[in-house]
Amino acid sequence: MSNSFMMLAPVVIFFVVLMGMGFYIQKRSSDARAENYSKDYYIGGRSLGGFVLAMTLVATYSSVSSFLSGPGVAWQKGFGWVYYASTQVVAAFLVLGILGKKMAVVGRKTDSVTAVDIIRNRYQSDLLATISAVVIIVFFTTQMIGQFVGGAQIFSAATGLSYEAGLIIFAIVVVLYTTVGGFNAVAITDTACAVMMLIGMFCLAYAIITKGGGLANIMATINEASETARTTGQGFDMVAPTAYNSIPVQLFITQWMLCGVCTIGLPQTNVRCLAYKDTKSVHRAMMYGTIVVGAMMVGMHLLGVLSRGVLLSIPEGASTDTVVPTLISQYMHPVLAGLTIIGPLAATMSTISSLLIAGSSAIVKDIYLHHKEAKKEKVNQKFVGKISIGMTGIMGIVAVVLSINPPDIIVWINMFAFGGLQAAFFWIFLLGLFWKKANRSGALWCIIGGLGSYIFVYITGITIGAFHNIIVGIVVGLICFIIGANIGKPVDDKIGRIFFPEKY
Amino acid sequence: MNKMSYKEKFVQMNKEAKATWIVAAIVIIFWWVAGFGVYGAFGSGFTIFGMPAWFVLSCFGSWILSIVLVAYLIKGVFKDFDLDDDDISASSGAGKEEADE
Repeated sequence: MSNSFMMLAPVVIFFVVLMGMGFYIQKRSSDARAENYSKDYYIGGRSLGGFVLAMTLVATYSSVSSFLSGPGVAWQKGFGWVYYASTQVVAAFLVLGILGKKMAVVGRKTDSVTAVDIIRNRYQSDLLATISAVVIIVFFTTQMIGQFVGGAQIFSAATGLSYEAGLIIFAIVVVLYTTVGGFNAVAITDTACAVMMLIGMFCLAYAIITKGGGLANIMATINEASETARTTGQGFDMVAPTAYNSIPVQLFITQWMLCGVCTIGLPQTNVRCLAYKDTKSVHRAMMYGTIVVGAMMVGMHLLGVLSRGVLLSIPEGASTDTVVPTLISQYMHPVLAGLTIIGPLAATMSTISSLLIAGSSAIVKDIYLHHKEAKKEKVNQKFVGKISIGMTGIMGIVAVVLSINPPDIIVWINMFAFGGLQAAFFWIFLLGLFWKKANRSGALWCIIGGLGSYIFVYITGITIGAFHNIIVGIVVGLICFIIGANIGKPVDDKIGRIFFPEKY
Repeated sequence: MNKMSYKEKFVQMNKEAKATWIVAAIVIIFWWVAGFGVYGAFGSGFTIFGMPAWFVLSCFGSWILSIVLVAYLIKGVFKDFDLDDDDISASSGAGKEEADE
C-alpha cells in the first residue's frame, strides 16, 4: 500500500461519515420541516443539548488560523505567541454567559430564527436589518473563501493532489452536508469536527514529543535559539512574552478585544444562543466550551512552539503556515498523519458550514421571507424549503468558484472581515439586550460609524500606536451609538416590555 | 427548575451577565499578572517542567482558573428556568412542548 493511500484513507472515511450525517439529519427532520421550514433548517428547532452546543461553538470559532497560521507563528516566535493566543479562553463562556439566555428568551418570545431577527425585533428597523444582512453576507462569503483556500492548501499539501482537485473534493463535502442537513447537520458535524481536532492535536503532540526526543531536549533547542537571539539579534527570544518586542504589549490589549471580549458580537457564533434547548444545556456548554477552547488554543499553539525541537528551519522564503503540514507529512506514520490532517481540515470545514448556513439565512430569512411577510403574502413551506436549500447550495458554489483563483479584493476584505463583524455588531447586541435607551438611530449610527471608521483606518493605513484597528471601530461605534441614542426616539413600550420587563 | 415570572427571569439574567463580566475581568487580571508580572519579576530562567514559568502560570493558569470560575458561576449564580414565557402559556403547557421538540 502506498503512503498517500494510507494517509488518504482516514480522511475519506471522515468525509463519508460527515456526508452521511447530513443526509441522515435531512431524513430525520422531514416532519419538523414540513411544519416550519426555516425554524428547523436555520436553527434546528431549538433542540441543541449542552455538549453539541459547546462543540459547535468551539468548532465554528476555531478556524484554519488556529490550526495552521497560529502554530506556525508560534514555531517562529515562541511562547509569547501562545500567550497571545491564550486570550481566547474567555470566548466560550462570555458569549453564553452574557448573551446566551437573554437571546434565547427574547428569541422565543419574538419567534426569532436568525441573529438579524433579533436585531430587527429589538430596534424595529428594516433598514438596520437589511444593512446587517448585507454586512453578514459580504463578510461571511469572503471569510468562507479564506477558509476554502486554507483547507484546500492543507489538503493538497498533505495528499499531493493539485490545489484545484483538493479544493473541489473538500468543498463538495462541506457544501453538500450543510445544504441538505441545515443547521442540525452543521451542529452535529461540528461536534464530530471538534472531536477530530482534539484527536489530531493529541496525535501531533505524541509525534512532536517522541521525534524531538522528549520535552527536555526540545526545551534545550528552544533555549539555545533564544540565547542566540538575545546575543546576536538573529531570530526571536522564544521564551519571553513579547518575543523581544516583536509582539508589542498594545497588541496584547487589542487581542483581548479582537479574540476575547468582542467575539460575543459575531453573528455566526451568537446565533447559537437561539438554538439550544434549555438552561441546563447552556450551563453545561459554558463548562465544556471553556475546557475545549482552552485545550485547543493553548494546546495547538504550544505544539507550534515545541515543534521547533523537530523542525529547526523551514526553506528560505517559505511561509510559517507550512510548518504544521510539513510536520504532519514528514514526521508521522502515514495512517497517523491521515488522522492528524483531519484536525485542520475539520477546523476549516466546521467554520465554513456555520458561515454558509448563517449566510444563507441572511438572504432567505432576513431579506426574502421578510419581504414576503411585509407584503402579507403567504409562503408555502415546501417552497421555503426549495429556496433555502437552493440558496445555501448557490452560496457555497459561488464561494468555491471564487476560491479557485481568489480575486485580490476578496483576499483584502477577508483580512478585516473578522474585526469588521465585531465593529458592526458588538454594541448592537450588547447594548440592545442590556441598555434600554439603545434605539434604532443609535444602532444605525453605530453600524455605520463603527464599521465605517474601521474600514477607513484599514484603507488609509492609519494606525493608533501599535494597537489593532479594532479599537478604532469599537470606540467610534460606541460613541456613535450613544450620540444616536440620545438624538433618536426612545423605544416604544411594546418592545420595552419584551426586552426590558424589569424596568416596568 | 425555578418558577419565575418573565420579569424575574430578566432580573436573574442581568445578575448572571454581571457575574460573567466579573469572572472575565478576574481571568484577564490573573493572565496579566501571571504572564507579564512573573516574567518581569523572575525572567525566563524560572521554569516549570522545563518551560518558562510565566508561560505555564499564565496560559494553563488562566485556563484552569476559567474552568474553576465557570464551575462556580453555573453552581452558584446561574439558575435554571423555563426559557419559554410561561406567563401566558402556563395553563396549557403548550410552550413547554414546543421547546422539547
